[in-house]
Amino acid sequence: MSFLTPLYLLGALGLAIPIILHLLHDRPKNKQAFSSLMFLDKTKPPVDRKRRPTHLLLLLLRCIALLLLAFVFARPFVTVDDPADAARRDRQWVTVLLDRSASMQRGDLWQQAKAKVQTALGQLGPGDRFTLIAYDDSTASLAEVKSWLGNASEAEVNTQLERLAKPGFGGSNLGQALVFVGEAIQEAEPEADEQPLARREIIVISDLQKGSHLGAVQGYEWPTGIRVTLEQLGEDDQGNAGIEQVASRMPWATAGAAPSFRISNSANGISDELEFLAHTTAGETLSQKVHVPPGRSRIVELPGEWVGKSVERLAIRGDAAEFDNQFHFAQNRQQTVRIVYIGEDKPNDAEGSLFYLASAFQQSSTLDFQVEAISGKSTDPLPEADLFVIGDAVNDSLAQALGQAIEGGATALMVVQSSSQAANLGQWLGADGVVVRDIASSDYALLEDLKLDHEILKVFGDTRFSDFTNLHFWKHRELQNLPDEGIDVLARFDSGAPAWLAARRGDGRLLMMASGWTPADSQLALSTKFIPLLYSILKPVLKRKTQSRQFVVGREVDVTRFNNGQGGGVTVMPPGDGAAAIPVDTVFTPAAPGLYTAKGSGWSETFAVNLTAAESRTEPIVMDQFKRFGLPMSSPAASPLAVEAAKKKETHRREYWQWALAAVLLFVTLETVLAAKGSRTAEPVMT
Amino acid sequence: MSGLHRSPRTGFSTEFTEYREYSPGDDVRFLDWKVMARTDREFIKKFEDETNLRCVFLVDFSKSMEFGGDDAGVKKSDYARTFAASLAWFLTQQRDAVGLATFDRDVREFIPPRYRRDQLKTILGRLETQPAGNATDLSQALEKLASLVGKRGMIVLVSDFLSPLDELERCLSLFAAAGHDVRAVQVLHPREVNFNFEDTAIFEDMESGQNIILDPGMARESYQQKYNAHNAALDAIFSAQGIPGFRVTTAEPLERVLQRFLEERPARAVVRQRRSNGRSAA
Repeated sequence: MSFLTPLYLLGALGLAIPIILHLLHDRPKNKQAFSSLMFLDKTKPPVDRKRRPTHLLLLLLRCIALLLLAFVFARPFVTVDDPADAARRDRQWVTVLLDRSASMQRGDLWQQAKAKVQTALGQLGPGDRFTLIAYDDSTASLAEVKSWLGNASEAEVNTQLERLAKPGFGGSNLGQALVFVGEAIQEAEPEADEQPLARREIIVISDLQKGSHLGAVQGYEWPTGIRVTLEQLGEDDQGNAGIEQVASRMPWATAGAAPSFRISNSANGISDELEFLAHTTAGETLSQKVHVPPGRSRIVELPGEWVGKSVERLAIRGDAAEFDNQFHFAQNRQQTVRIVYIGEDKPNDAEGSLFYLASAFQQSSTLDFQVEAISGKSTDPLPEADLFVIGDAVNDSLAQALGQAIEGGATALMVVQSSSQAANLGQWLGADGVVVRDIASSDYALLEDLKLDHEILKVFGDTRFSDFTNLHFWKHRELQNLPDEGIDVLARFDSGAPAWLAARRGDGRLLMMASGWTPADSQLALSTKFIPLLYSILKPVLKRKTQSRQFVVGREVDVTRFNNGQGGGVTVMPPGDGAAAIPVDTVFTPAAPGLYTAKGSGWSETFAVNLTAAESRTEPIVMDQFKRFGLPMSSPAASPLAVEAAKKKETHRREYWQWALAAVLLFVTLETVLAAKGSRTAEPVMT
Repeated sequence: MSGLHRSPRTGFSTEFTEYREYSPGDDVRFLDWKVMARTDREFIKKFEDETNLRCVFLVDFSKSMEFGGDDAGVKKSDYARTFAASLAWFLTQQRDAVGLATFDRDVREFIPPRYRRDQLKTILGRLETQPAGNATDLSQALEKLASLVGKRGMIVLVSDFLSPLDELERCLSLFAAAGHDVRAVQVLHPREVNFNFEDTAIFEDMESGQNIILDPGMARESYQQKYNAHNAALDAIFSAQGIPGFRVTTAEPLERVLQRFLEERPARAVVRQRRSNGRSAA
């Protein structure tokens, strides 16, 4: 007899409880009144070893009930071997799952893997079914032989195997591969004239490294009758060190924000002294020693003297495995955000709008804000910008150019400071008769009805930041005869007049403020709301310009991100001199690490592709983990007959625990009856 | 003046005690004129006030005194009450004033000492009632009694003294300070002395109701140690206050105990032989 969950047998230790209770129940019946207990210790006397348990029959019943309960939970079952089945040659289905992830490049692992495949092929007999599946991040079926024909089939499989040539650069998603095979086996329909399968076996040939993803297996319900054999390669692993980029410690620092890298050394690493190298585009190699004890990792910043040089590749040296020692690096270029202010303000005039606008934006390692001021009367062509801030009335040509720019996708913020801007506003909004009227009031105005769910004001959505009552507006204007549709009022003055408005024009946005931020108009520029508001207006631009250019092998790269979200006509140049350009529409999946260049009409961007960091974790997975995930590693072979037998066994098992449960109930009932009887006949306790 | 006992007071009587030089304010009735005539100096002649003995029995009526009875011999309370009753009868026969106070946690009953025809009957009647108290608090009861018992006299304290002794000395000193002649009788049961129980049982405190399971064989040694220490502390208190203490068990015949008690000489007082009948003043 075996048990499905034998650990529950430990529950039998609970027998001690009724025994102790029965011993404790042997309390003296007689009471002795005594004048004073002041000379007697309160400590209970030690358990008398000679004490005998009371109510032996009750104790026995309780013990049996507990034992049976532990027995039920342990799920007992009996395996019945049928000698007739053993004598018959069973047809089997062997599926080999071959790991071709980057970590299989180590040493002679790939040779060992191929040898293991040959061994598996040697065990096949005529009529057996064989499937060869290779996996890394993805799973691909390489060969499928439905009925094994000996040498002919072997040659066919070997041809396919040789096509693989060597492992790739992908990660290792073993969980997904196992589930893929499990589902394929489950869904396979036997053909009409096919002999039933006696065994279904999955042989995993892999280094079973810790970096393998097993998540998919967790919770997967394995079909009955599948056995998984794990063939682990590279058990004499000498450890490995890996490198990956991590977020910079000072993302907003303007200068000296060097990129940071995590160098990790596996617990069985051979050395604790690694060499950190940088290769520049000029062919120069820089190096420095890094101390990383085995089992630890360390964050290393690119040294200051290296930052100025254009580093294209980083590397580590000093570990046993070379495959993951290179890290291709596409340094994030500082992106320029152009802001054009249209108005007559002087840059250093603290009474004007431009002064505060230019002060609001801070340079960072990734972003360079350039604020340019042009006159509203200028006849020069309108420069390109990510944000136009219009602080004054503009002439017709400029108004037309701005209108086109807004329709074409630009964002414009119009600060209405005089009634002369009404004509421009009417032109851009496509409305006649727009009037700007100065509101003459001796009292200040406040904001109300803030639309905090709008994308621009969402930044103030938290109740900690949504208090605008300290923001006083000394002067404001009323915009009259605005079109009814297509304009969102983001905030109103307490007089009810719209304060901040947003309108979508074509692909762009036109934002309007009925009061400016100059000290003469309001307290906005000096309030805590000003900078978040401007960054919130620029958010789509900033999001696009601060995207990373580091990617991972096997994961899709959206090339449109390099071209402001516009796809089409992009070619990607893979690394290497002789590589052919690949035309890409929107998404490109790199298959090897290196520096890639995406090119479009008039632009070109370099991006880096590296191995997934998990591949560097080459220590073997602890076998217990597979058991914990419920992988059927030791279940017996299963044919339709065996499956039937397994079902039968399952039925038997169920019957056993049901009987045991019935016995538990019987004993508990008996115990209750006896205990009730006992309590009725017991003498009343003398008090 | 019909008493047989020496009184702690001085006054008019036939028993001369001492001369003292006259000082202004003294009662001129006590001047010894003869001495003044002889020596031309004024002397006051002091006499011992001879009066009846005033005796108050303080009897412990707490629950712990109920120990005993049935197979275990005489109850401590029965023994103590009989002892007090016998002595009261004896003193009444001597025309002494006898009083009674019963107490447990507090004073339950107080009959002031008198010599009357029905005083003994009243006392015996009170002693016949069953003790209904719970815990003993000697200190509180004695402190109260010290204020109740007025004139100086004899105090006979009958108790098992099986309660904490923290405040006992201070309370007894109140009686001594008031000039009372205090006698203490500790009534114990033989089982309290020897702790000769045999079977394991649930031992219940008669006063607090608290109970513990106990193997007497194992607990005996520790009990004896603590019991002896308690009694030693009690003896030390009696000795410090000059109180004669009698430790009796209910197994002792009462008449012998009475005899022993009556023969005991007071600790501080000088016993004089009465010229008239030669009996000792107890």
